[in-house]
Amino acid sequence: MKQPLFGSFDGPHTHEHTLGPLQHISVPMRRFDDNEEADYLIVGIGSAGGVLLQRLARAGFSVVGLEAGPFWDTERDWVSDEAGSHQLYWEDPRVTGGSDPLALGANNSGRGVGGGSVHWAAFTPRLHPSDFEVYTCDGVGADWPLTYDELLPSYEQLELEMPVAGPAYYPWGRPHGYAYGPHPMGGVGNALVRGCSALNIPVSIGGPVAILSGSHGDRPHCIYRGFCIQGCKVGAKASTLITHVPDALHNGAEIRPHSMAARIELGRNGRVTGVHYFDRDGQTHFQKARAVVVAGYAIETPRLLLNSACPGFENGLANSSGTVGRYLMAQAGNVVLGRFDQLVRMYKAPPAHALTEEFYETDPRRDFARGFAIQTVGPLPIAFAKQMVAAKKAWGWGLRREMMDYNHWAALGVLGEILPWPENRVTLDEEKDQFGLPIAHVSFNLHDNDKKLIKFGKEKAFEVMHAAGAAEVVQEARYAHLVGACRMGSDPSTSVTDKFGRTHDIPNLFVCDGSLMPTQGSANPGLTIQALAARTADYLISQGDTIFHSNQRNDTEPRIRRELAPPGTYGKGVPRVR
Amino acid sequence: MKPRQSQTDPAFLPRNPDTHEPLLRTPQPGYYPGYSTMSQRAFWDKATRSLIEQRLHTPPPIRFLTAYEAAFWEVVFDHILPQDDRTPDRRIPIVPFLDDRLHHNRTVGYRFEDMPHDREIYKTLGIEAIDSEAHSAFNNNFLQLSWRQQESVVRTLHDGEPQGATEIWQRMSVHRFWQLLTSDAIDVYYAHPWAWDEIGFGGPAYPRAYTRLERGEPEPWEVEEERYEWLAPSASLSGETEDASHHHTEAEQLRHPHRTRSA
Repeated sequence: MKQPLFGSFDGPHTHEHTLGPLQHISVPMRRFDDNEEADYLIVGIGSAGGVLLQRLARAGFSVVGLEAGPFWDTERDWVSDEAGSHQLYWEDPRVTGGSDPLALGANNSGRGVGGGSVHWAAFTPRLHPSDFEVYTCDGVGADWPLTYDELLPSYEQLELEMPVAGPAYYPWGRPHGYAYGPHPMGGVGNALVRGCSALNIPVSIGGPVAILSGSHGDRPHCIYRGFCIQGCKVGAKASTLITHVPDALHNGAEIRPHSMAARIELGRNGRVTGVHYFDRDGQTHFQKARAVVVAGYAIETPRLLLNSACPGFENGLANSSGTVGRYLMAQAGNVVLGRFDQLVRMYKAPPAHALTEEFYETDPRRDFARGFAIQTVGPLPIAFAKQMVAAKKAWGWGLRREMMDYNHWAALGVLGEILPWPENRVTLDEEKDQFGLPIAHVSFNLHDNDKKLIKFGKEKAFEVMHAAGAAEVVQEARYAHLVGACRMGSDPSTSVTDKFGRTHDIPNLFVCDGSLMPTQGSANPGLTIQALAARTADYLISQGDTIFHSNQRNDTEPRIRRELAPPGTYGKGVPRVR
Repeated sequence: MKPRQSQTDPAFLPRNPDTHEPLLRTPQPGYYPGYSTMSQRAFWDKATRSLIEQRLHTPPPIRFLTAYEAAFWEVVFDHILPQDDRTPDRRIPIVPFLDDRLHHNRTVGYRFEDMPHDREIYKTLGIEAIDSEAHSAFNNNFLQLSWRQQESVVRTLHDGEPQGATEIWQRMSVHRFWQLLTSDAIDVYYAHPWAWDEIGFGGPAYPRAYTRLERGEPEPWEVEEERYEWLAPSASLSGETEDASHHHTEAEQLRHPHRTRSA
C-alpha cells in the first residue's frame, strides 16, 4: 500500500492544543497578574513540577508555574526523528569538566513543559529500602531523612497515575507487583532474557515502564515505534505534560512558558517574596508569591539558588551549609553492544522494556559498595553511530561498514550507582547566557568505589551479552541521569532542605526535584522524583496556609491525599505480594 | 572546481573481496536493495513528513561559514564519512546542516571545559589546527595535499596524536575535537532518509506503528536483508576498527592510546 486509503495522514483537525492524538486542552489558560500574589510559584514544570502543580491546584491553592521552555503541542511540535527533536533538551550554554566530565543536554536535561519526563525512556523501578540508609548499611554515601516506608504510599500512587506497566511479581527491593500488564518483548529484551536465563540470573520483562500496554482514559497504548526519548507523540509514554498538567490547568493553575527564572527575591523578614524572570523577548518581570518552589532539576536548581545570592546569603540563597550544588550524581550508564548473526532491528519497541536488578545490593564478596542494574536500551542510528565511534574507534569506511550492520546489534545498559561526593558539583561559570545570567559549571570526578563498580557491572553485562549468543561484544562508557546537588537531610549543616524539601534556611522556600536525592541507588530516578513531589505536595497541603505567614516548622508526616490524583487514576490497587 | 582524487581514482572505491575489483557506484549502498523510507511518508504524521521532506529537498543555505571554510570542512567530512560509493546525485550534504547549526548558534547544550566554543572551532581554530598538522607532516596546507595525505592528517586527529600546533592543542583537546567532528558528521548523515535506506532503519512510524517486534523480521513495507561482502578502498586508512572496550570510563575510552603503526 502506497498511502492510506483517504490520502496522507494529516495534521490535527482542531485549533485546540493537542497532548497526544486524543487529548486536547483549551488555551489560553488563566493568567495571573505579576502583582497578584500567587500562593505557590513553581520554577520548572518538569517531572516534579508537573505533579506538584497539579496537586496544589486541585487542593485549591493559586499556583503559577514558570517554565523556561515551550508548552508543547505534541501533534504540531514533535516529530519521529532523532535530529529533529533537539529542542526537547536543555541547549542553553553550560560548561562541563572535572576528571570525568558528564555529557548534558540530550543525555539528561529537559526543557519545556514536562521537562525530562518528555524525553525519558520511562523505566520506573523504585529505589530499594537499602537506598534510604546507605551510610548506615555500607559506611559510604549518606542516609536519607526518610525511609522507604514513608515514600511507599507515594510510589504506589504514582505507579497508578502514570501508570506503570510491569510484571505481576517484581522480586527485587521490597517485592511488589504492577497493576498494568507488561509489554511484549522487542529484540533487545529477548537478548537480555536469553543471556540472563542462560546464566541463571532472574530478569523482569515488559516493565516496569511508564508506557501504556493497553489504552487508558484518553491515551492510546504503545505502538512500538521506538522514539521514546524523542518525545512520545502517541501519548502512550507518561510525561507530566499529559498525565498531570491538563488536570492542573483544569483546576486553575497557570503555566507561563518561555519564562526563564533569573533570581529569587529575599524580603527583609528572611522570607522569599517572588521570582524575577525573563520572558521570551528578554523583558524582565517579577512574580509575587507567598512561597516559592524551585523544581529546575539537578543543575538549574542549584544554579538559580547560587544566582540568587544576596546580603545574608552571599554564597547563594539557602546555602548556609555550603552544600548547594554539591553531591551531584550521575549513574554509570555503560552501553554494552552485542552483534548477532541474526537480525535484531532494535529500533522497534520502547528502548526500556526489560531489566535485572539481581546485582543491585551491596555484595560482601565484591570489592566495592552498592551495585547496578542491567537494562535494555535501543539506540536509534545517530546514537548508535556515536557508540561505534567510542567503542570501536570507527571512522570513515569502518564507520560506514559498522552502520550497515545496525540491524544486527542489540544494546544493554549498565545502570550503576555512583556515590555522592562533595566535589562533584555545580558552580557558576564566568560565562553568561543570553539573558546575562552566569551559566552553570559542572564538575564530575569518579572515585575508587565508582570505578570498581563500573568495571564489575560492565563485565557482568558482557557475560550476559555473550551468553545471549552475540558474536561480538563491545561497549561505550558513559553516564546516565542526574540527581543530587541540593540534597535533603536531617542536619542543616550538611544539607539544603528537610525531608519535605523545605530549605533549612528559609521557611517559605522549597526545592522539589531530583536534586533533593542524597543517594541514587541503581534505579532510574524518574519515579522517585515524582513520588517525592507528591509527598511534598501532601505536606504543603497538610500545612494549609501556615507556610504563608509563619516561620514555624511542623514535621508531622502528612497523610497521602489519593483523592487529589488526576481523575481516572484513583481507586485502582497496586498488588502487594508476600 | 576540479574533481577530487577520490572521485576519479578507483583506488578510493570499496572493493570486491574476491576479485579486488572496485564496486560500482550506486545510488543506494547497503544490504537493503529497493528499500525506501520515503516511500512510506504518507503514513507519517504531518509534522514529521514536513521536516524530513525539507531535509531531503531543501538543505539550508550556507550563512555562517565563508565559501572557503565550507569547502574546507566539506573535504574533512568526506574523510570522516566518505561517500565515494554513492553516485554523485545521491551524496548526502553535511556542511549545510552544520552551517545551519552554527548560524543559529545551536549547541548540544554543554561545552567541555577544555574546549573553545563550537563557532570558534569551525571558523578559525579547527582549520588552523588541521592546516598546522598538514604543514608539520607534509609542509603544505591541508587542501593542497593529495587525498591520501589528507586522510593521514585526519587520522592523526582520530588517533589523538597530533604532531604540530602545540599551542592550539593546549587550548583545545584533540580527543574532544575529534568527538565533535564525528558527532557533527553523524548527526547529519544518519539523519538523512538515504542513510536510513542504506542501513535498513525503519524510520518514522507514527501513527501507523511497528507490528513485528521479534526475530528481526521486517514490517510488510520493509525488505529482507541481502548481504554482500566488501572491503574498504585499497588506498584508504579508515577501513579498520579497533576495540576500545577494555576501558571502563568515558574519559579513559576517549583518550584510548592507539597501537603504534608502521609508517
